[in-house]
Amino acid sequence: MTQSVVRQTSVTEAHAAIVGSGSRRRWILLATGLVAALALPWLVYPPVAMDIAAMALFAIALDILIGYTGLLSFGHSAFWGSSAYMTGLIATHYGVPFPVAVVGGAVFAMVLALPIAYLSVRRSGIYFAMVTLAFGQMVYFVGYQWSGLTGGENGLQGVPRRFFGIELVETESFYFYYAALPILLLGMWAAWRIVHSPFGRVLVAIRDNTPRARALGYDVEKYKVIAFVLSAGLTGLAGGVFAISHGFVALTTLHWTTSGEVVLITLLGGIGTLWGGILGAFLVVMLADYLASSGFDGIDLVTGTVFVLVVLLFRRGIWGTVHHQWLTWLQRRTSPRRTQADADPAGPRP
Amino acid sequence: MKSMHIRAGAAAMTGALLLGACGGGPGASGGDFTGGKLVLAVLNDQSGVYKDASGPGSVKAVKMAVADYKKKYGDAAVVDDIEVTSADHQNKPDIANTKAQELYERKGADIILDVPTSSAALAVATQAKNHHKLFIDVSAATTQLTGARCNKYTFQWAYDTYMLANGTGTTVTENGDKNWQLIYPDYEFGQDMTKSFTKAIKGAGGTVQGAIPTPFPNDNFATFLTKAGSTKPDVIGTMQAGGDLINMVKQFNASGLKEKGIDLAVGLMLITDIHSLGVDQFAGTMFTDPWYWNMDKETRAWADRFQHETGTRPSFEHAGNYSAALQYLEAVQRAKTDKADAVVGELAGKKTNDVFLHNGEIRAKDHLVIHDTYLARVKKPSQVKEDWDYEDIVTTIPAAKAFPTAEESGCSM
Repeated sequence: MTQSVVRQTSVTEAHAAIVGSGSRRRWILLATGLVAALALPWLVYPPVAMDIAAMALFAIALDILIGYTGLLSFGHSAFWGSSAYMTGLIATHYGVPFPVAVVGGAVFAMVLALPIAYLSVRRSGIYFAMVTLAFGQMVYFVGYQWSGLTGGENGLQGVPRRFFGIELVETESFYFYYAALPILLLGMWAAWRIVHSPFGRVLVAIRDNTPRARALGYDVEKYKVIAFVLSAGLTGLAGGVFAISHGFVALTTLHWTTSGEVVLITLLGGIGTLWGGILGAFLVVMLADYLASSGFDGIDLVTGTVFVLVVLLFRRGIWGTVHHQWLTWLQRRTSPRRTQADADPAGPRP
Repeated sequence: MKSMHIRAGAAAMTGALLLGACGGGPGASGGDFTGGKLVLAVLNDQSGVYKDASGPGSVKAVKMAVADYKKKYGDAAVVDDIEVTSADHQNKPDIANTKAQELYERKGADIILDVPTSSAALAVATQAKNHHKLFIDVSAATTQLTGARCNKYTFQWAYDTYMLANGTGTTVTENGDKNWQLIYPDYEFGQDMTKSFTKAIKGAGGTVQGAIPTPFPNDNFATFLTKAGSTKPDVIGTMQAGGDLINMVKQFNASGLKEKGIDLAVGLMLITDIHSLGVDQFAGTMFTDPWYWNMDKETRAWADRFQHETGTRPSFEHAGNYSAALQYLEAVQRAKTDKADAVVGELAGKKTNDVFLHNGEIRAKDHLVIHDTYLARVKKPSQVKEDWDYEDIVTTIPAAKAFPTAEESGCSM
């Protein structure tokens, strides 16, 4: 199922590149997104805004794998959580400003990702998902058993939030948001660069037709490993910011449910779109926050139902569907005699 | 140290700005209150394994304390607008951490009460310390709250693992069960309980033959029981709590160990556990109880009120929450403000009695609340005269003996 969705989206992407009117629209989108990111802590409770931003980068990082490389990783909590712990430990023991700790966490996540990626990319499809899930669980149990370092069930408590002695950032969540946002935006920019670089094009080629990419001389496994490690690094950036924001690292960050949540966010927003991750994170985190403060227990029930509805009604995810509709409309406007069928699966031939 | 001063300064400035923005509050009662009102928040398990023991019942108990405060002071009360709010932490430390931050910042809570599950309580204690707001823990047992991880704004009201171990471990050993096997859930509470029990048992001249960790939560205890029984101990001490304890006791009773003359001692037992499993399953079990609803006329009268409100008899955690909220309100009344430092000053060192605290003292040095506790025995089914009539109080353990001394706590604020 994932496969077919992936393929359709890729066509949409290619279509967008060919239509070429995307440039101006992209700037408008970017400006809107930036304004929304800056306005967010005015509109929602700042720690929740921080969660949305961190989850958005997490989903985008995962989308590099799911959407652009065709690898469904079900063990990304390993990188999110291990970076969170490493960031927390660095911040606690060395008293460095938090961005340094976050970068340290992200580097650690990449180092951890290297052997995992090397072993996992030998399989694809559901087997890849299961292997990454197994690695994720292994990391979880290391975190659980090594309680001298991680605090086990108690978690890593009282992680400090140092920022060059600027008191407002260190104590007020509102100002902390603006201090941490650049790190996340940088991560998102990096993700955008990765998927739009020649390297990213190779990833798409591998996703769409692995044997052909191999026949063209690309070292498929190497590309997959690099994509995996880069994705883990960006995940680590997000996880580190999350840890500093909460001042606390719990075992949940390593738990497989966290991997599941981010897969859900990515699919909900629409895979292979990057923007979808942001939209998905906003919806899921806001929904969870709204339900939690309304005193309703069945958060998972509601998010699960929403997920099922989205999969049934919007096969491309919310962003993917809107994007697709927009393209179809554009297509019809520019060449009114064409039918929608032409515009859809194959796209115009050059 | 330096950063602390700056932080305090910033907090004071923020406070002043807030007060300015609020125009000083209604001022009708002459007190100095943020936003013109006092907010008490109950953070506990509203849906999981500890729901019955504290849960919504504790929220009710806190509301009863507010009603009593209003009735007692009437127009002389320093604050009229008192709000009670609650949140569910699902026994997870990360959720407790986020919720505590939200309660202090978003809901303007002046105090957080209850918080079962030791790991969650430790997270809330850190938030209390960072926000300079009060936290009175009632339902979590770890000695760290008022020991190594103590802070100025955190109080431990009802009990701790030292008290449970000291009562049960010492008494059972002295009564002749010298050789112990311990079975404990492998997380903060179980680990802390095992440490405390081992110390108490050795202190009373007994030996611990083995301590067996189990996953938490867990359904099947058969293998652990067989392993514990293999060394032929006099008694097996179980540190399981809530739903796990119920499974453990059922399986112990079915295992045939009882017939071999091996007793079962329970680390932490709540009346709600006895109620859900039935007295016959527990009959004769000795345990330490901080409070029992049917001890005297006063506790019984309060329990009647509680039952009228909720339909069940109160556990000691319910009564503890009532007592904590009541003493907090009294301290606010004396301090005439909701400012945490002033209220902490009024609470610390206070000696008091209420329906829950008998010979109580809020110890200034580590903020552990010491009070008389009780060694209880579960009644036989034939002795039960009414619903919830489950316990015989065997002896009273005086406050000074029941809890660790301030030196033993190892707290430095």
